[in-house]
Amino acid sequence: MRRAVAMGCAGLVSLVFLYPYLWMLLGAFRTTRDILRHPLALWPEQFDLQAFAAIAELSGVSLLRVTMNSLGITLASTALAIVITASGAYALTRRPKLLAFRLLRGGFLVTMMYPAMLLVIPVYLVMYRLGLLGGTIGIVLFLALGPVQFFLFEQFFRTIPAEVIEAATIDGASELTILWRVVMPMATPVVATVGIITFLLNWAQWFPVLVISTTPDTYTLPVALLNLNGELGTNFQAIMALAVVTTLPPAVVFLLAQRSVMGGMAEGAVKG
Amino acid sequence: MFYGLALPFAALTILFGLWPILLSIQVSFTQSATALRASPTYVGLANYHTVLADPVFLASLAHTLEYTLLAVVVNVGLALAYALLLDSPYLARGRAFFKLAVFLPVVTPDVAGYVVWRWLYDQSFGAVNAALKGLGLPLFGGIAAPQTAMLAVLLAELWHHCGFYVVIFLANLAVCERALSEAAAIDGAGPWQRLRYVILPQLRPAIAINTIYALIQFLKTFSVVVVMTKGGPADATNFVSYYAWQLFDTAQYGQATAMATLLFGIVLVVSLLAYQGAERGRA
Repeated sequence: MRRAVAMGCAGLVSLVFLYPYLWMLLGAFRTTRDILRHPLALWPEQFDLQAFAAIAELSGVSLLRVTMNSLGITLASTALAIVITASGAYALTRRPKLLAFRLLRGGFLVTMMYPAMLLVIPVYLVMYRLGLLGGTIGIVLFLALGPVQFFLFEQFFRTIPAEVIEAATIDGASELTILWRVVMPMATPVVATVGIITFLLNWAQWFPVLVISTTPDTYTLPVALLNLNGELGTNFQAIMALAVVTTLPPAVVFLLAQRSVMGGMAEGAVKG
Repeated sequence: MFYGLALPFAALTILFGLWPILLSIQVSFTQSATALRASPTYVGLANYHTVLADPVFLASLAHTLEYTLLAVVVNVGLALAYALLLDSPYLARGRAFFKLAVFLPVVTPDVAGYVVWRWLYDQSFGAVNAALKGLGLPLFGGIAAPQTAMLAVLLAELWHHCGFYVVIFLANLAVCERALSEAAAIDGAGPWQRLRYVILPQLRPAIAINTIYALIQFLKTFSVVVVMTKGGPADATNFVSYYAWQLFDTAQYGQATAMATLLFGIVLVVSLLAYQGAERGRA
């Protein structure tokens, strides 16, 4: 009896959490008329693909281009985040007592606490002064910094026994060699976790992209979706189709790497 | 050597973190019309006076605090209940799936999730009211009515964030001493007593982390408002971060950054207090 209640409760909650995905998928493939007639249908009357034709071009930019922006910006910022955060966190862990490093760590933590949407406002001014407004470079640079990434690397580097690094130093290896030949090979699992989590987080980013962009040419999928959703005379089916395109890649990545995503996010949070 | 390794990290932190924050604080002391010029006119605390005398801001602040309190309690409370359910011995199978189902929304782009929720509430397209009508229940005003808009936004955010809190609780539950709970059961403690006196004290770290995270998260609520309500109806969801953004968008830079600085101060104070409270609870 108790078992049935427990299963029932967990099943019901899961259904409620998953139903929006089913509804979004159905909305993308059903005509507006069918949806208005039966909003709760569980299967499309017919597979209607016209929504995907309708989103082939978004504000004068092709869906392919927007998707490529999403992929390019996300992958580039992820790679950059790994290199920059790993070497930064490594330096800060090896020399934790340096005043400059303690200030840097404190400054970084404060930055991460500042409301991102309000930080982006002055970032616009900074981008303007650096001449990075309207380009993808500014977006990639801005997205390369995040707290979860830093904490995961920092936590891992702290667990490396001092003897390992001492042994390499005695062998005459330079610090750079130690980092690349000794430490990073040990860190492969952390690099993978950080990479996947950064991909998921940055794929979803929209506000910095919107603010730093000056034309729809540098929009990513979430920004294009927001734009489409805000247009007058909304095409409901097209909105759902674009929502499906936006949701699908991270959903696949997550399902393939669920353990390291959930474990890594929890670990990064517990540390912070 | 180590300076060189930390240099790119330091450059990004300064360029896109510390400099913008200082710039923002600087702009909050200048006159909006001159804020972006090379030599702006400084007006002292005038922007702060304007903001603190603005009834829309005060209402917005009250809404933000009310919403944050509500959202923290609902999110952390329900996440705890769900994590306990997933951890209970009565759940024979399917744990991995049930965990996955609530975590998938966390990694779903928030814009996509909130767009779907916006339409789920829709009176003619939406599934929510169609289901209520089918069950013969009263309709839900959703984001269209000022009385229900905050609740509608809260449910959408619960869907997006809750799985994260659940996973933190589950990680903590995994390291709890099961023997203690079993011993209490043998000594005749009922399920509520075991929860209150054996399990919850062991969950203190997760409760602290989740509460601090949720506080910071919901004080800064922004995306959901942009996508679903644009602050409306009747300013019911015009939270501080959104209101500040609107002012910035209409070139009222001084007031917008003054508001941003105030919100930053609130986030800082609240998280420090929560952190201290958690530390004291541990001692």
